[in-house]
Amino acid sequence: MKSQREYQVCTRCVMDTSDQEITFDADGVCNHCTEYFELAKVLIPDPEEARRRYEAMMNMVIDSGKGKEYDCVVGLSGGVDSSYVAYLAKEAGLRALTVHFDNGWNSELAVKNIENIVNKTGFDYQTNVVDWEEFKDLQIAFLKASVANAETPTDHAFLAAIYKLCKQYNIKYNLNGSNFATEGILPDSWGYNSKDVKHLKAIHKQFGNIKLKTYPLLGFRREFYYTYFKGVKNLRPLNLVGYKKMEAMEVLKREFGWKYYGGKHYESTFTKFFQAYILPTKFGYDKRRAHLSSLICNNEITREEAVKELSEPLYQPNELAEDREYVCKKLGLSDQEFEQIMDTPGKSHTAYPNSEERLKRIYRIYYKLRGRDSNALKK
Amino acid sequence: MAITRVIPVLLLRNQGLVKSVKFKAPKYVGDPINAVRIFNDKEVDELVFLDITASTEGKPVPLALLQDIATECFMPLCYGGGIRSLKDIQQIIQVGVEKIALNTIAHEQPQLIQEAAAVYGSSSVVVSMDVKKNLFGKWQVWTKGGTVNTKKDPVAWAKEVEALGAGELMVQSIDKDGTMSGYDLELIRRVAQAVEVPVIACSGAGTVEDLARPIKEANASAVAAGSLFVFHGKHRAVLIQYPGQQVLRQLFS
Amino acid sequence: MIVIIDYGVGNLGSIRNMLKKIGHSSEISSDPEVIKNAEKLILPGVGAFDAGMSKLNETGLVALLHQKVMEEKTPTLGICLGMQLMTKGSEEGQEAGLGWVDAQCVRFRFDEGKKLKVPHMGWNYVHAQKEHALFDGMFEAPRFYFVHSFHLQCNNAQDVFLTANYGYDFTASFVVDNVMGVQFHPEKSHKFGMQILKNFATYVAS
Repeated sequence: MKSQREYQVCTRCVMDTSDQEITFDADGVCNHCTEYFELAKVLIPDPEEARRRYEAMMNMVIDSGKGKEYDCVVGLSGGVDSSYVAYLAKEAGLRALTVHFDNGWNSELAVKNIENIVNKTGFDYQTNVVDWEEFKDLQIAFLKASVANAETPTDHAFLAAIYKLCKQYNIKYNLNGSNFATEGILPDSWGYNSKDVKHLKAIHKQFGNIKLKTYPLLGFRREFYYTYFKGVKNLRPLNLVGYKKMEAMEVLKREFGWKYYGGKHYESTFTKFFQAYILPTKFGYDKRRAHLSSLICNNEITREEAVKELSEPLYQPNELAEDREYVCKKLGLSDQEFEQIMDTPGKSHTAYPNSEERLKRIYRIYYKLRGRDSNALKK
Repeated sequence: MAITRVIPVLLLRNQGLVKSVKFKAPKYVGDPINAVRIFNDKEVDELVFLDITASTEGKPVPLALLQDIATECFMPLCYGGGIRSLKDIQQIIQVGVEKIALNTIAHEQPQLIQEAAAVYGSSSVVVSMDVKKNLFGKWQVWTKGGTVNTKKDPVAWAKEVEALGAGELMVQSIDKDGTMSGYDLELIRRVAQAVEVPVIACSGAGTVEDLARPIKEANASAVAAGSLFVFHGKHRAVLIQYPGQQVLRQLFS
Repeated sequence: MIVIIDYGVGNLGSIRNMLKKIGHSSEISSDPEVIKNAEKLILPGVGAFDAGMSKLNETGLVALLHQKVMEEKTPTLGICLGMQLMTKGSEEGQEAGLGWVDAQCVRFRFDEGKKLKVPHMGWNYVHAQKEHALFDGMFEAPRFYFVHSFHLQCNNAQDVFLTANYGYDFTASFVVDNVMGVQFHPEKSHKFGMQILKNFATYVAS
């Protein structure tokens, strides 16, 4: 999927033609940062309104938990976004049940961060450990399928684990770390909805070998059951607190002795390897561009700083060799098998059966019913 | 003086890590390779891996997995479970494991202790015993993953294997396993006082403070724990932890 | 190329693994051609002195090693029994050692009432008695994994590099020109061992 267009990079953010669908205006400004600012108007309220909504959100959570053991679920990965949500939950006096999805790739830093957070906040903690043989098989299937959304096995199961807990403890609210500020820019082709179980099953059927027995599948029907009948809602508090990643990291370091692992989502060794090596090599793009572009638009870094960071290699050669060996060892892939995966050209998720159109339609209707602008929420 | 060793004990079952309570109901804990990597980054003193089905189900030693584990491990590694011959031991040591733990086989073929010690040195041979109290409160040594009662007294057994050349003894209390209610200090003391070789206390640690007691109160030379390093909180959620150097130094001072 | 001498004793794979982890390739070999061309040598070893020395003699490599180490001054690191073999001999056995360092190996001896368990097994702190490149960039409170019943006794105090305490201070490492020895196992001493091996791999005689 290498770009055939002439190379061009945005003059305001750092998105470039490695996103094949990017468009530029007469000033060389791209559609991504333009859309970012438009969407920000809808999704990010001004400080006063944000404060009001944030307090209302916290009170709503507290009220919902009266007489129950917990009032919300907070998913922890050891990364900055979810750690900050835990911090906010503690400050607001919530009685959260924290949960971590252990997919077998945690770095020691991530585990230590989680340990510090659960100890300092005193929140109860649960992990959902998936059977490694099943999960490994599914991960390899996604790698062989050559799609960009290789994180789907993790993301899908994570959400399923959260819903399950919500049902078990009768919790209505899941506080998640999604935030527009640092994630607002992400080309559609660079990811795909991990909730699409048809897509997951299709890839597993074609490339997987082991039956999925303990892996938690979250079909559309099941999600509908949780959200409509059980009323479980996903809340995004980070959009209401003027979230700035750098500031958040300082707070976390101070409050929890939190440590940074370098790179977004690098708390998982697999994610780091996938984003810093497999994606750029097979698909020709560097996800850092999207993250850094969001940070530029969020006024956290300057374009110069972003360009400088992008000029740093994603991997030092020694580190790359080490991680590559570890990933192959864990997945049980021979050098040959791995090379074959790397040589297979990248494919779009649309190359496999999926429910994308159906899901889009359903979400449109769903959001209309709830009176929200579906366009604004397509991200 | 050598630093007191604090050793995580990890149980293997069909390529996966598990944790039991009183040797029953093993709960899946995750992938062993990543666990070793994390413990390695936490700079733990030593790791013990025991395969709990190799003996009871007559399965072979998981050599390929052991090799993967050994290459992630930059501290001493001890393996036990299903070792039946000198050849098994040779293969295990060849993949990079420092020590082997003999349990069931030590009763069935005690001469293996001698042979292994002669070839690989006593310090590579650990004899591990699982002990349970009977109805009258008398300790007895069990084998095959806690399913067969040898009726032997742990102190007598300890002396016997020491004479055969065992370099270390690991004492696990089946009653205390996974309960996080503290070590069986009396058991450990009786065994440690009867032998010259180092005794590793195992089973029952519930808090970091518990780790100091077998050393200070029961003559143990090292302490081992499973649940303490692998679970967190009232939901016994999997979270790999290990005390920092500062904490450990203070604990044993 | 760093060559780890294979004479049938010792956990050679672990040493190579650690070297690999810190970005240095090495070869495990008993081939005289390979050893002849080695830029650096590592002599590993575990177990009894006589058994080790006999096995080393059986390889027929000793003469070549003498040349590489004593004449060509190839930087050489002895680990555990490997280090002990570099001495003149050991109380443990009858065989003569390689004699690359003026020292002998003695059993741990404690005063009555102060007896400690032998072997000395476990982690222990070390203290540097002199400066040397092997300890460049070493972390605070360095500790290493030991497992041995005999220890070195150097006849020249200036040869002693590191000491450790087990009932009394004993030599944990020596350095004489290009010949270095460590009683502990760097390949089993995670970050501390990595630093030693890293320094050995990049060592340049001054």
